[in-house]
Amino acid sequence: MAAFILETEAVEYVYPDGTQALRKIDMAVAKGQKVAILGSNGAGKSTLFLHLNGILRPAGGKIRYDGREVVYNAAGLRELRTRVGIVFQDPDSQLFSASVLQEISFGPLNLGLEKREVKERVLKAMSETEIEDLADKPTHMLSFGQKKRVAIADILAMMPEVIIFDEPTAWLDPRHAREFMQLLDHLAAAGRTIIISTHDVDIAYAWADNILIMNHGQIVASGVPTEVFRHPDSIIAADLALPWLVEMHGELMRRDWLRPDAPLPRSKEALFASLGGHDKGKITAGTTGTVLRVLP
Amino acid sequence: MFDLDTYAYTNRWIKIHPLEKFVFALATMLVCLISPSVVVVGAVLLLMTVASTKGAGTPVGQFFRFMMIPFSFILTGVLTIAFSVSHDPGGFLFGFTFGSITVGASQANLMKAGFIFFKSLGAVSCLYFLSLTTPVLEVISVLRKLKAPSLFLELMGLVYRFIFVLMDTTALIRMSQTSRLGYVSAKNTFRSLSQLISSLFVRSFHRAGELATALTARNYTGEIRTLEKEYPVSKRNYAVILGIELGLLLLNFT
Repeated sequence: MAAFILETEAVEYVYPDGTQALRKIDMAVAKGQKVAILGSNGAGKSTLFLHLNGILRPAGGKIRYDGREVVYNAAGLRELRTRVGIVFQDPDSQLFSASVLQEISFGPLNLGLEKREVKERVLKAMSETEIEDLADKPTHMLSFGQKKRVAIADILAMMPEVIIFDEPTAWLDPRHAREFMQLLDHLAAAGRTIIISTHDVDIAYAWADNILIMNHGQIVASGVPTEVFRHPDSIIAADLALPWLVEMHGELMRRDWLRPDAPLPRSKEALFASLGGHDKGKITAGTTGTVLRVLP
Repeated sequence: MFDLDTYAYTNRWIKIHPLEKFVFALATMLVCLISPSVVVVGAVLLLMTVASTKGAGTPVGQFFRFMMIPFSFILTGVLTIAFSVSHDPGGFLFGFTFGSITVGASQANLMKAGFIFFKSLGAVSCLYFLSLTTPVLEVISVLRKLKAPSLFLELMGLVYRFIFVLMDTTALIRMSQTSRLGYVSAKNTFRSLSQLISSLFVRSFHRAGELATALTARNYTGEIRTLEKEYPVSKRNYAVILGIELGLLLLNFT
């Protein structure tokens, strides 16, 4: 087995109108990793994703799946699309059927499976995304968050090894965004490789094993979250912000409120734990502004 | 129209096999259309009203409101049968004379028009029964079992799905236009409406492109195949339907 499940080598793409969408993209995703691709609007994230599933063919460079170069014929693309699934940003452009059951069964039926197995997969995908109760509801009566879950079940039923999510938390409120990220963790825990695109740096920072930062069709920085954000210049240049945890950590360091060897925290709990002083008990609801009280 | 869709998904007979409802509606419609007796037409109207309201659970008032929609169409249709043009003013129950021409209605024609009017209403009630008890996708699956061309059925399914997406988009554009005084005067209204229609057209193209991409990503190769819901087949229901239709046919001889 290859070290990386999905690799691109100097991938280039130019849209028919002459826009250079991708410039020499080199990326490598290890099996089972959680990868976040960060970039502002128009950085080329979606274009890159369409290459990883074989919808677009690179104008230059190579894409390898499991060590083997992607073959652009019917059988090769079928193989790639069976292993790499994409959940699109807007469920209304992905869901083609007015029936949730029919919608989810489309992908596995295209894999040439028997009806009985398709049915099993549909039920399993629905239970993993917790939408069993929507089976008899028509698509147009679902809420946005429910449609989004159906869109994921669409792909899960095909049982791909890699699942790509284009802007998974766009248009979701904080609670649904949090639940969504938990669902992604759950999917990753089952051994799948997950790639997401986002411009929410806080989500990417807290969630990902590996972060790629894209700007103007190039990858300008990559690495583990705690390393990537140590070089704010490339982040700012890519029209992104620093995660609040990183900024807070820097500021606390600058004021000597943290020990110099305190590690960069990945969650707010980790940040609070690294603070000195003593705990005066629970902060009650409505007084979140007094959080600074625990500082020395 | 959208109420109709909602009732179709929430009615009490949703679990009944769609083919049974389809056969019931179409067989009754056929009986209604071929029967020469007004008693049968009345019985069909009553039967379908009771089946849709008492049976499937559509509120009675709502059912009559639905029935009023084609009312005026049918009325204007039968007016041309009721009235005829003649040089001879005799034989008309009443009429209007213009010079040598008389436009009027004879008793026979009035009877004929009235009968056709009720017959049409009876046939419409059968279709309403089907629409109120069977969601569009189930009707499509029945048509698939009856070997209708699959291209036609795929189109039906996609059109049905995207009617709702298009309606949502329309509502959003309209709202944003209204918030910028797009509909305060007749002139503004015309301009806003034309822009609404043209941008809907452009967006539909975008949607179609995005949909094609998303389908391709799931190994679409030109044919949409999906699982269909399974319903228990009831021999008893078919027996009841047969009994009802025979009963209706026998009413012709009373």
